[in-house]
Amino acid sequence: MSELENPFQETLIQRHRADSCTVVIFGATGDLTHRKLIPALYNLAAGGDLPQQFKVVGFARREKTDDEFRAELEESNKKNSRQGHDATLWASFSQNIDYHRSEFQDLAGYQSLKLLLEEFDKERGVPANRLFYLASAPEFFDQIMLMLRQSGLNEGVGGKWARVVCEKPFGKDLATARHLNEVVNATFHEKDTYRIDHYLGKETAQNIMVLRFANLMFEPNWNSRYIDHVQITCAENLGMEGGRGAYYDTAGALRDMVQNHLFQLLSLVAMEPPTDLSADSVRDEKVKVIRALRRYQGVDEVAKNIVRAQYIAGSVDGVERVGYRQEDRVNPKSMTECYVALRLFVNTWRWQGVPFYMRVGKQLPKKATEISVHFKYPPQAPFPTTLQRGTRNVLVIRIQPDEGISLRMLSKLPGVQLLLQPVKMDFRYSTSFGKASPEAYERLLLDAMAGDATLFARRDEVENAWSFIDEIEHAWHNDGPQPPMNEYPAGSWGPKEADDLLAADGRVWRRL
Amino acid sequence: MSATLEDSLAILGQEVPLGLVDKALKELWGHDEVRTRASLMNFAIYSEDPASITPNTRLLEEITSEHACRGLLLLALPGGEPHARAWITAHCQLHDGHKSVCSEQISFVLEGGTMNQVRNIVFAHLDSDLPLVCWWQGDLSANFSERFYSVMDMLFIDSSSWKNPAHDFAVLAGALEQSTARFRVYDLSWLRSHLFRTALASCFSNATALEELRHLQFVEITHSKGHRLAGLLIAAWIGVRLKCKLEASDGIKLVTPEGQSISVTLSESGEGEALQRIELRSANASLSVSRDCGAAYVCTTVQIGDHRHDQMLPADPVTDAAVISEQLSRLGGQSLYLQMVPMLRGMLR
Ligand SMILES: NC(=O)c1ccc[n+]([C@@H]2O[C@H](COP(=O)([O-])OP(=O)(O)OC[C@H]3O[C@@H](n4cnc5c(N)ncnc54)[C@H](OP(=O)(O)O)[C@@H]3O)[C@@H](O)[C@H]2O)c1
Repeated sequence: MSELENPFQETLIQRHRADSCTVVIFGATGDLTHRKLIPALYNLAAGGDLPQQFKVVGFARREKTDDEFRAELEESNKKNSRQGHDATLWASFSQNIDYHRSEFQDLAGYQSLKLLLEEFDKERGVPANRLFYLASAPEFFDQIMLMLRQSGLNEGVGGKWARVVCEKPFGKDLATARHLNEVVNATFHEKDTYRIDHYLGKETAQNIMVLRFANLMFEPNWNSRYIDHVQITCAENLGMEGGRGAYYDTAGALRDMVQNHLFQLLSLVAMEPPTDLSADSVRDEKVKVIRALRRYQGVDEVAKNIVRAQYIAGSVDGVERVGYRQEDRVNPKSMTECYVALRLFVNTWRWQGVPFYMRVGKQLPKKATEISVHFKYPPQAPFPTTLQRGTRNVLVIRIQPDEGISLRMLSKLPGVQLLLQPVKMDFRYSTSFGKASPEAYERLLLDAMAGDATLFARRDEVENAWSFIDEIEHAWHNDGPQPPMNEYPAGSWGPKEADDLLAADGRVWRRL
Repeated sequence: MSATLEDSLAILGQEVPLGLVDKALKELWGHDEVRTRASLMNFAIYSEDPASITPNTRLLEEITSEHACRGLLLLALPGGEPHARAWITAHCQLHDGHKSVCSEQISFVLEGGTMNQVRNIVFAHLDSDLPLVCWWQGDLSANFSERFYSVMDMLFIDSSSWKNPAHDFAVLAGALEQSTARFRVYDLSWLRSHLFRTALASCFSNATALEELRHLQFVEITHSKGHRLAGLLIAAWIGVRLKCKLEASDGIKLVTPEGQSISVTLSESGEGEALQRIELRSANASLSVSRDCGAAYVCTTVQIGDHRHDQMLPADPVTDAAVISEQLSRLGGQSLYLQMVPMLRGMLR
């Protein structure tokens, strides 16, 4: 009998079932492992979703014992676990966590890792699957891949699989992303490669497809005939706290947010219906959206359609904030954008002429990620107040926080006169479903173990996105005249130039 | 109406004339800025037990903390002159520390009268367009009629509370054959063992363990006092999953399609959770799930030859409300139960 034929597993209804495996985390003493990965695995264990004989091996270079490592993870799990921390369950779960000390560059360390994994297999009586999670800075990816290959760890044992999960950022431009892809694909098959984009693990992002394709009423109107434009906003009310400036100043908003998260949201909103829900059918449709983006070449086109900016001193929530260039670990002459607004066009039949406006920024008035679909005015306007601002139908998908969907429509104001008033129908996850959603990392880790790559970025998605982003970066950072770097006070909704971008088309940013 | 029953009615909130329930509900929400009404379904609890009012109100309160719904409490008391009374109240939960999200509860005490009246009253007070989930407590009495179950979308029962399971399973099977019956059925006695079964399944997560299934000889199930039915459900599940036939014999004997005979024994031990332990044995292996590691967990032990592996997994929730809440979040999963019922009925004979 094969594993698929476990006759008792049928009771595990509609849940992904993870195959029995060992997860090796590279960079296991880091922040990501402590705050996200271990709490996610612990919560999966608490929900009974981890497979039997599950093991975790933490790989990092500092000297420490298994017990010290477990104790550190326990402390951070207490702070970060979504469903709280239970000492007994932790004791059982953490028994299966081991620490393996080695440098990423040291082949001997991988050979001893291999022996350790073989020892686990011996204890189990059968070989297990292996999931390698790269939670290290991206500059180590090459080295880790090379060592995995040289030690033979990239090959599954006894018919079992070996997979790799790569964290963001996946490259900093097309060339580096291509290089990484080549290195990764020289070591693991594409089907065994899982590139994390944690936005896709969010319940609301997954719900976009459900909203569009499981309800009949939206899809027939989901095109240039009925939709005037779409806005995607990702606002953060924080700046460069906690030393984040060091990394951020080398990346900027376009690379850090747009290339991955916002393009994923755009793909979900603009894609054609997939033929089925298999990972490749869905990703085939998503990548078509990115490929169909109208390209902006040269400084003028970029300047006309894309606005970049940095915040200057201001205040958010009544607290004074310094400007971007005065932030800790940021170059005082930095030309890195911490705000970007884009006017995009998806050159397909469905979206002909419909602009997709995107904006993402730091130190904005509040934290919110939302997609809003703005419908056209009715073809004929027999009522007096239609065609006024604020009267179009707008469908809003709130990704975070306050996850939900709302629809604005017009209604008659009670009274003898015929006056119309916009009203809002609102659906909120928190009040409709009492249950809290799982953390994105829980879902994504489970999917990677279960072999479902739908919510992970495929090689062509990543490369197509970078190829689009590169052209903008080149225009911004070329040696000749560059599009301007604009400014906005911290705590405002971005630079005036971003408002002008929409005003030129007779539109305004939605009020959040 | 007895004095004790009359006393327990206070928990139901504000009594309102039957015809004015909707109006009273509107008034309840109309002037309230800080409370939001939320509803995803109609959740009705039907009972014929006069002592059920307080525990059922508490149950609804617990269920609404996870599943916003319109709660309907129906207490049907046969005999006497037909007389119906109604009450309204709300169960509120705080969200984000300030805004209160509430589910409303309408309660009916129906004395005398026929099931048609009960049904019409339920019909008149459903939240429109939302599914009707009904928890039928106790036996499937004569009131469990086609006119009622034909409007349900989901039916919860608890077969371990039935006085005559063979009879009630026959009633249920008969109902499911009706073309008008479109409800999915969930048996609490079965749902209570979900994670116990998951734990058993996880024992077979590799090929070596699966191989032992071919040589399985014994299944031993230990259940607590009064929960033989829960044990039988597990026996029927194993039988159906292994595609066995039930063979007439003194005890329970399952025969696999390859002709391997498996003897099933049930024994009763102690109080507490319905299922205490399952052990599957072959000549070379023993795989077991038990409650030996405290209330919140089950432990599995897989011993195959010289290899032994122990693990702890979360245990099923214990209260009825938690079990129902879990199922409402999970959806699906009933075809398996229905496949099992014929074998279970065979075992009851
Ligand atoms: N933190 C987050 O919330 C977050 C969110 C999204 C994506 N990411 C991505 O996840 C990755 C990891 O982030 P992080 O914040 O966890 O990083 P971090 O806190 O800096 O941790 C780096 C880890 O790498 C190990 N390491 C560094 N050099 C090593 C070497 N030569 N040999 C062996 N181990 C070495 C460190 O081990 P020692 O402690 O032993 O030196 C540590 O465990 C990055 O790619 C980041 O972009 C992080």
